[in-house]
Amino acid sequence: MKLLFTAQKPDWDAQIDPRFGRAAYLVLYDEATGDLESIDNTEVKEVEHGAGTATAQRVFAIKPDVLITGNGPGSTAASILNRLPMKIYIGAESRTLREAYRLYQENKLELSDCHG
Amino acid sequence: MKEIVVLSGKGGTGKTSLTAALALVAGQELVVADCDVDAANLHLLLDPAITASADFFSGELATIHSDYCTQCGICVQDCRFDAITFRDSRHQLQELDCEGCGYCARICPMQAITMQTRKTGRVMLSHSRTGCGMVYARMEAGAGNSGKLVARVKQEARQLATATQIERVLIDGAPGLSCPVISSLAGADYVLLVAEPTVSSLHDLRRLYDVIRGFDIPMGAVINKGDLNPQVADELKSFFRDHAIDFLTTIPYDEQISGALSEGKTMAEINPHYYALIGDIWQNLCTTL
Repeated sequence: MKLLFTAQKPDWDAQIDPRFGRAAYLVLYDEATGDLESIDNTEVKEVEHGAGTATAQRVFAIKPDVLITGNGPGSTAASILNRLPMKIYIGAESRTLREAYRLYQENKLELSDCHG
Repeated sequence: MKEIVVLSGKGGTGKTSLTAALALVAGQELVVADCDVDAANLHLLLDPAITASADFFSGELATIHSDYCTQCGICVQDCRFDAITFRDSRHQLQELDCEGCGYCARICPMQAITMQTRKTGRVMLSHSRTGCGMVYARMEAGAGNSGKLVARVKQEARQLATATQIERVLIDGAPGLSCPVISSLAGADYVLLVAEPTVSSLHDLRRLYDVIRGFDIPMGAVINKGDLNPQVADELKSFFRDHAIDFLTTIPYDEQISGALSEGKTMAEINPHYYALIGDIWQNLCTTL
């Protein structure tokens, strides 16, 4: 499975970014290969308006299976993400990516019902 | 640290009035932030002393470099905001009209136009007369609120709270449902809804509820000016009940309140009854969070 985290910095020990649209980095983890890839989201972070939809477009291009974030995308961004068969897990704020991944594996993250 | 955002949907229901009153009763127990910068008015009630400020940059502004300009006039023709004019024998930019779209820079045959990031306001760190830290913004003429600015004000407020070991940030949110509101919800822990008993307030509240639900954030509500229309007040209460929104209290319509506001005072300063009413709301919020 490919997991995408909203992160404050691009590594496993960084804190999850509670924001979706203005997340500092989008970090993609491929469970099959073990690869960790980071996308700098600063360009979107700095837009005046429409950050959520712009980040959602980036996520759409990546097509992860799972998104792990803080309190989830807003409704407009969510309407873009809902077109993907992707699950959104929320409640990972104040955790590191490593901790959030463990919580996900232990089924302790909340599945966002804004998806579908 | 917990973030409480005060929202309403319809404007004019009393977000700022309530936020200021809560700040007064909460004293030093919070950091307060004004994220409604299009009509920033929290500072009118909290009279903050500024401790630091920083420029806020948003969007871009065109600059015409006269040395390279051949006066061809293409930019004047093609600027859809009529922001470039020929005055004093040269082509000049009218800064207030420039929207920073960058089209002139792209089409200038001499590449005589460049785009620069634009200072659109200042973010202020301050100390409220009620004893807490306060973050707000002042904008240049023509500049407006944005998701980006709200994010910046929230970030400064969180940093201030962390630095001073304060556990609660209370945010006076923007009216409406657009980017500044979404931006204020990202990362928030609780939404305090301020409604008034009017058809428009209930209508806009329903729309706001759908927006907040997407974020999965718990909500509480206060009905302000509640005795103006008991029927709509009841409809609001039903709405709260049906949607798991904690109904906290009703504040009556009272000309003493508008009187206090016009003197730069919060409603909690009118008399002990109002102080207690607002105090109860704050206690309720602290217990819930």
